[in-house]
Amino acid sequence: MTSFFHMNEKGRSLFSRITMPGLVCLVLVIIGPAVFDMYMLNTMVKAFFFAIAAITVDILWGYTGCLTFGQSAFFGLGAYAAGLVFTHLGFTPAYVALALALAVIGAALVGLFTGWISFYRGASSFFACIISLVLPIVLNQLILSGGSFTGSSSGLTGFDTFEFEMEQWYWIAGGLMMVCGVLSSVFLSSDAGRILVSIRDNESRCAYLGLNPSAIKICLLGVCAAMAGLAGFGYGAFSGVVAPELTGFSFGTEMIIWVALSGRGTLWGPMLGTLVITVATAYLSSAMPFVWQLLLGLAFVLVIIFLPQGLIPLLSRPFAGRRTFVPALESSEVEADGRHEDEPVLEMTHVERRYGSLSVLKDVTFTGRPGELIGINGPNGAGKTTLMRCMSDGKERTGGTIKLCGHDIVRQHPQACVRFGLGRKFQNANIFDTLTVAECLRMARSVLERSSLFRRDKVIHLPPYALEVVRVTGLEAKLGTVARDLSHGEQQALELAMVLALEPRIILLDEPTAGLTRAERISIGQVFSSLAHKYGLCCLLVEHDLDFVKEIATRIVVLHQGTIVVQGSAEEVVNSELVQTIYAGPSRKDEEVA
Amino acid sequence: MSICFDILTTAALLFIVTSGLMMIFGVMQIVNFSHGAIISVGGYVSFVLAQLGIPGWYGWIFAFLVGALVGALMERLVVRPLYKRPLDAILATWGLGIVMIQIITICFGRGIQFVDAPLQGTWHLLGTDYSSYRLVMIPVAFVICALLVALLNGTRFGVRTRAVIMNEALAESLGINAGLIRFITFSIGAGLGTLAGMLITPLSSVDPYMGVTWLTSAFMLVMVSGHSFLSLLFTCLVFSTFQVLVSTYVNPVLGGMTIAVLAAATLRIRPRGFSRD
Amino acid sequence: MKLSHVLFSLGVMTLLGVPAYAADMIRIGVPVGLSGANSVVAPSIVQASELAVDEINAAGGILGKKVELIVADDASGAVGAQQAFDSLIFKKGVDVIISAETSAARNAALPIVSRGRVPYIYTSFYEGNSCNKWLYVNGWVPEQLSAAIVDYLQKRENANTFFLIGSDYAFGRGVLEFARKYIESVGGKVVGEEYLPMDGNDWTAIISKLRAAAPDALISCTAGGAPNVSLGKQLKSAGVNVPYANMALDEGTAKDMGNVASGVLVCGSYMTSLDTPENKKFLAALENKFGKDMKTPNELSVPQYEAIYAYKAAVEKAGSTKGKDVIKALGEVSVTGPRGTVKMDPETRHAALNMYLSQVQEDGSMKILDSFQNVEPGPQCRNCR
Repeated sequence: MTSFFHMNEKGRSLFSRITMPGLVCLVLVIIGPAVFDMYMLNTMVKAFFFAIAAITVDILWGYTGCLTFGQSAFFGLGAYAAGLVFTHLGFTPAYVALALALAVIGAALVGLFTGWISFYRGASSFFACIISLVLPIVLNQLILSGGSFTGSSSGLTGFDTFEFEMEQWYWIAGGLMMVCGVLSSVFLSSDAGRILVSIRDNESRCAYLGLNPSAIKICLLGVCAAMAGLAGFGYGAFSGVVAPELTGFSFGTEMIIWVALSGRGTLWGPMLGTLVITVATAYLSSAMPFVWQLLLGLAFVLVIIFLPQGLIPLLSRPFAGRRTFVPALESSEVEADGRHEDEPVLEMTHVERRYGSLSVLKDVTFTGRPGELIGINGPNGAGKTTLMRCMSDGKERTGGTIKLCGHDIVRQHPQACVRFGLGRKFQNANIFDTLTVAECLRMARSVLERSSLFRRDKVIHLPPYALEVVRVTGLEAKLGTVARDLSHGEQQALELAMVLALEPRIILLDEPTAGLTRAERISIGQVFSSLAHKYGLCCLLVEHDLDFVKEIATRIVVLHQGTIVVQGSAEEVVNSELVQTIYAGPSRKDEEVA
Repeated sequence: MSICFDILTTAALLFIVTSGLMMIFGVMQIVNFSHGAIISVGGYVSFVLAQLGIPGWYGWIFAFLVGALVGALMERLVVRPLYKRPLDAILATWGLGIVMIQIITICFGRGIQFVDAPLQGTWHLLGTDYSSYRLVMIPVAFVICALLVALLNGTRFGVRTRAVIMNEALAESLGINAGLIRFITFSIGAGLGTLAGMLITPLSSVDPYMGVTWLTSAFMLVMVSGHSFLSLLFTCLVFSTFQVLVSTYVNPVLGGMTIAVLAAATLRIRPRGFSRD
Repeated sequence: MKLSHVLFSLGVMTLLGVPAYAADMIRIGVPVGLSGANSVVAPSIVQASELAVDEINAAGGILGKKVELIVADDASGAVGAQQAFDSLIFKKGVDVIISAETSAARNAALPIVSRGRVPYIYTSFYEGNSCNKWLYVNGWVPEQLSAAIVDYLQKRENANTFFLIGSDYAFGRGVLEFARKYIESVGGKVVGEEYLPMDGNDWTAIISKLRAAAPDALISCTAGGAPNVSLGKQLKSAGVNVPYANMALDEGTAKDMGNVASGVLVCGSYMTSLDTPENKKFLAALENKFGKDMKTPNELSVPQYEAIYAYKAAVEKAGSTKGKDVIKALGEVSVTGPRGTVKMDPETRHAALNMYLSQVQEDGSMKILDSFQNVEPGPQCRNCR
């Protein structure tokens, strides 16, 4: 925890975590009681609790990309925990502790369960979003049908609660909001926090870096639920009233509007935005409820279409000095896994893949050993990419077995395959658009080196071959550049470096030379050779182009119509008559499969 | 016997309400969150028509046209810029739903409007008296389903639409204007929404929020049934069976949640839902 | 560079402009559901309030002071009500709160009223037993309703078996539970009691059960607005013809529903067709003031009108607007308004009311079938703090 207070990065004290909108929040918290009247203080206290809930929406949606309408459910749970305990049991220190525990832990448990339902593998993002819509609706129904226990539609009121003065409440709520804000900020800019952004940018890449995005999102929802529950508890205890609308989905959608209008993914922006909009609503909606709603709705639509970053970044952009944090790169020792050099790392036996009656792979059996550079060739539609998919995802094949470094992958997820020692580079550069080069590389190391929740590592350890790729391609000079701004070739190189950073035993390379210049091809060819020959990796190179492959491959496998037709050294294969016919005149049938 | 009618008519109503959402989701992979507001528009169209003295049956076509117009505008102004950002697209449609509901409220007031049903009373069928309007909804649902299936499977438009669904890039390269296909499907989807709004008015109240109550069920049905209207019809039937049975024999409050809960469970166990592919 | 932020913060703060208090005014705060569920009836409540205040000011105000009406939106719910009450009591400094709101809004408001020590007259019918030192109620509670309806159904329609349908929330449950008790106490039988979620509109399964149970009479108490209307429509389309009493139907809605509601029994403390000079004068004044925009007065707006007069009487009796004095006086004064003479009891904090049983006619008008004088609210708030 010491690292928490002694920020390792230059000049990043706790205070500097707070951005310009955050500073405004801080000022509001400090000067509030001196300048605000009772009514305003009262409104602000509630707004502070709402802002905490808005943080969770921003973390889930703005940072992680999971749109949620359901944070109101957890807020409401927290509020009802306070209301129910204080009403039915009483208000003693023990019951306060119980209520608080129920609010935080209860909400977290519901959050974890909701996460489990929403974020299974392959769930569409719409599904999670709709579950988040259903949760508050179901909860609301339960509360409405709860009779005198939950107070039904009238809610619970008149229970004893903390007897603080308004000013004290103001400090408590404001302080809690600032603490939540700073903690969230510390977490979000830590290495672990960047994982959230990487999930938003490219979930499948995360899985192929060995991370488990579903599990991360489930845990995150649990934590966010707990935080919203805490805010709800505070709100319930402060206002002395809990009502069904606190759990309702229209409240949940309001939070989305706050976050969207003020700037998703900026943390302090949504907090300030929540305060401003809550106060404005308190003053304006009484005079013109429908028009106010209409204006909010219109502003929301316009911001979503034209200004997805929201309004506050627009206002504070002139003041935001972009602080890019650039760690150093260091070479790491690659540990030998104690396996025999010539023991196969990849064993495929009778692998097949069918789509209904269509058979894309039939009875594919082959092995790969360390130090081999195997070219997998074949015309379009021969099943090359399908083969790669089967190797890296246990759910893909319909028959046969695959062993990676001795582990049967059964029906396991890509992340498991990666942990067994597989690295997969996709055909199109598959990276994290909004992360910097350094962050992308750090992300690739998450499985091997646990990411800190509080800080950023000053040093990124990379295996020598990954470091070589970074250096040779000039990426080292661009560590602070956002990946989206790299050239096509640099993006390809970055992805390769990321995959290599996993220290894989087997690496799948899907058309890595596509779109590269001749010079780039030659240099990348040398990289591959050294991976296989110098570092003993098993490289599988899917290529359309036989000429490139025959230069570097130790062995070539030719696929045609889903089966291995020829296998052998480059020379044997290239000269084989069969291969020449296949390449000379691909049948129409293959085109269809493509 | 009447419980069978309950199941069938509930399924028919669910299908009618969901078909517009399905049309849009199936082709564009976008959940149209303004569907509830569009249904409300349908209710108000029937109210305005009733005020003008145009009988209910003619209004169906008119409602469809109004909805299609609203959908066309929405697609052009709001959805089109957001194709690449599907989550933002649903948020924008949601915001648009809020705007539409507020506009309805400002124009017509928050209160409930009344429209006479085109068909009242009951029919004696298979030994029981049953609401004739509800019974009519069964063939209406089948006709809508048949028309949509015919549209998607039997016409040039349908072939192109399916091409866009399967592989948009390829379809574009074959000279299919995917933008136009989306424009048309969105308009049809919205038109079906207003039509549904008009069709349910004899059974529900006409107020700005009338469509919103159907929203969650419709969303869940679409998520579960995938792409085809036949599987949607099937899903509606299965889920409405559960809903009616739970409402009748267990508790109507639970019955109200049945579809949401069942759909979530179905998708958790079988992510593809009831779609075959 | 911080200038724009300073300006921005200033912008936020200008919203806080503190209004000047004029000492020679009496302010009546009316928080109502301008938006949300109650927005259907809110305009009629505001009209009734404006009429009462206008009349009082025209007659010289209260204790020589002019009366000012401050309307605020409570969004028909707890969160909005807190906002509205905070604003009215602590910002606008009102002397009294008089309003018809949802139960959620009322409950949320009570702690604020206690904190602000402001008298609060609640003018809506509700499920009963809401008690607070600062609260008076002049709308009906289930105790005052059930007897009239059940007695009528039993005697005139020979009903012995009853079916109850409601929305699952405090009011629906509260009213029907009392009705059930009353039915059983007079020897009737409840053959079914079914609830739908508060926003549920699909009554299919319940109507099937109703038909299967074949009761002699049906009593419903749903949430107002959409659920109520859709129940009516679905009953009609299902051809249900049993005698039907609807405890949540107001006259304006019944009028709009046309033949869907015809034959339905409605019970309440106010009907527009009441043939009393006070009511005729009230209706004429309302029409005169609002003309074409006049909303049909109803079970919420008329008590609102009367409550403002009750407050006037109480202040004049107490000789001051001090909260404590007004609360004491409110239990001692009585007001003769459109509903007749209403006196709120200092013990129960509720009022004995004249109840009327009416039937909706083909054209949507109400025909009074029976009336019951001075029906007691039962044991409400006996030991109110």
